[in-house]
Amino acid sequence: MTIATGHAAALQRADIKRPNVFQQMWASRADYLYVLPAIVVMLVVIAYPIYYTVELSFFKTPPGLQLRDKVFVGTENYSTILSSDVFWKVTVNTFIWTIASTLIAFVLGFGAALALHRDFVGRAILRAILIIPWVISAVAASYIWKWIYHSDFGVLGAVMVQLGLADRQPNFIDNVHTVLPSLIVVNIWREFPFAMIMLMAGLQTVPDQLLRAAKVDGASAWQRFWHVTFPHLRGVSTVTILLLAVANFNSFIIPWITTGGGPSNASHIWITHIYELAFGRQRWGVAAAYSVLLFAILMVLGYFYVKALSGNDKQEHGA
Amino acid sequence: MAQVVLKDLVKTYGSVYAAKDVSLTVNDGEFVALVGPSGCGKTTTLNLVAGLIPITSGDIIIGDRVVNDLDPKDRDIAMVFQNYALYPQKTVFQNLAFPLQMRKLPKDEIDRKVREAAKVLDITHLLERKPRELSGGQQQRVALGRALVRDPAVFLMDEPLSNLDAKLRVQMRSEIKRFHQDLNATIIYVTHDQLEAVTMADKMAVMNGGLLQQYDTPAQVFANPVNMFVASFVGSPAMSLVPLEVSSTNGITSLTSAEGWHLPLSAENARKVANARSKKVVLGARHSTIRLHKEKLGDAVPAKVYTVEPTGDITFVQAFLSGAIVNISLPPSVIVEPDEMVWLEFDQDRIHLFDGETEMALRAE
Repeated sequence: MTIATGHAAALQRADIKRPNVFQQMWASRADYLYVLPAIVVMLVVIAYPIYYTVELSFFKTPPGLQLRDKVFVGTENYSTILSSDVFWKVTVNTFIWTIASTLIAFVLGFGAALALHRDFVGRAILRAILIIPWVISAVAASYIWKWIYHSDFGVLGAVMVQLGLADRQPNFIDNVHTVLPSLIVVNIWREFPFAMIMLMAGLQTVPDQLLRAAKVDGASAWQRFWHVTFPHLRGVSTVTILLLAVANFNSFIIPWITTGGGPSNASHIWITHIYELAFGRQRWGVAAAYSVLLFAILMVLGYFYVKALSGNDKQEHGA
Repeated sequence: MAQVVLKDLVKTYGSVYAAKDVSLTVNDGEFVALVGPSGCGKTTTLNLVAGLIPITSGDIIIGDRVVNDLDPKDRDIAMVFQNYALYPQKTVFQNLAFPLQMRKLPKDEIDRKVREAAKVLDITHLLERKPRELSGGQQQRVALGRALVRDPAVFLMDEPLSNLDAKLRVQMRSEIKRFHQDLNATIIYVTHDQLEAVTMADKMAVMNGGLLQQYDTPAQVFANPVNMFVASFVGSPAMSLVPLEVSSTNGITSLTSAEGWHLPLSAENARKVANARSKKVVLGARHSTIRLHKEKLGDAVPAKVYTVEPTGDITFVQAFLSGAIVNISLPPSVIVEPDEMVWLEFDQDRIHLFDGETEMALRAE
């Protein structure tokens, strides 16, 4: 009510004399009052932590000292991180983790969505089963997979031995070469139902008339998919990949619970590493600097992503 | 181009007949409109011809081939859809080229055919645009073009004008008619708008409840509707239908109203009503054949004016006659008021008589 009447009043006044910004703000002061609590909460829980993280990144916090006795060290934390091998290793891990998880989960989800789009007996049941990995707790799933991968008692290794695929129980997560792919498999298993649901929703919006037109035009099932269905799903695919990528950059639960980042940092990704630096080794300053770096990297990626998105958008709607 | 024959075509969904024993022949180069209200089976029939849904029984013959089991792409048809169904991500050129690409034609031939079709439809300047950058009429022309490049045996059109605004619809109506004349194309055209059917088609097939009611030229359908459904569906405003009873005094056959008045019938009309199953007969008359008088005159019967709708050059009057609504058209110089008592005179040569039980038109023989 207030918004509407305030706006109308402002419009009326605009005919006579354009009011300045402060006059406009004062005219709709009630509206600002209404959003004030939300602004205060945002400042307390978002703006202040960001500020404090940036501040902390310029200090050293020796163990045994209270946090308030921190020592100013300038950019030393940053140079420490950038010159450490672990940082680069973890960064490579994070990119492998994110790209592999996102793309494979998307492709699998797409396949599942297409399979479930046609009507067949037991479709509802299969759909419900396929959604399970996404709805169960990530913590529980991680513990289950930890046991599935166990080097002595794991069911996966036992099955492989039984089938003659391996001579003895393979070391999935106690091996620096196989640990990251093994965890990526878990992550994909958990995430593909999300892509499936998004794309199933998208598939339902493909205009039937276009598919029929393509049929009359002589397109085969594959050509109908490629020329009609797939282009129609471009928007929902972009959103799905974006959401998956963000979730994967920020992954924590699966690697932390299953391996804790080991062996020898082979399964550490950014967030698990930061968590270990901060809460495992109390190196708050380094962890804070690390967070700021990560923030910067993600901002750069985000900038290019948004640019790509809006480029698409222009192509879609421009004229 | 080719002729299309539908023989005893049946489509059922469970126990529901979407099309029942539909038989008709579309001659080479003919423009046939399938017309009827929503759910009458006209779109089902078109989709059966296209091969988009399988037939339950019967035969579809295009040219000299029975196409019952062929895929749409092998039937040598092209289809124009209600919402144009243009591929939104493709340019106009790519839209027109698509059916040719699917047939793996060489690139230069595709290019030549697309440009030819574009020239015919005057859309050459739009070839690089995307569908969303076009107006409704332009999109419609592109949809026609995509059908045209195929050089099909028959064009199937599913309500192609119903998404356009009224003014554009009238314009595109004449363009499609011109398209038909210039190409001498065989066209099957589905519409719920009887006016489109009457104005464009060589023949119209009126459908209702999955059944083909009448298949004839628009003039014949208009002049000699076979039953009450066709009579009331074709023509605007609709034919007025007044349920009455047959009576006979002193050798003169009349239609009698429960309101007490009599309408004596001519000798020919008397022979028609003699063929009715019972005394119940429905009198049908089009608005232009009814004369309105302010005083009682000859055989005129009394009615009470309900509404008056001036449209400029014609004033439409609705009046209650024996409990039924009757449409009458008047020159604007005649002024009548709602609730005014008037007398209606029917032209014996131009009234229609229907059996009150079977709803079929009564014939003299």
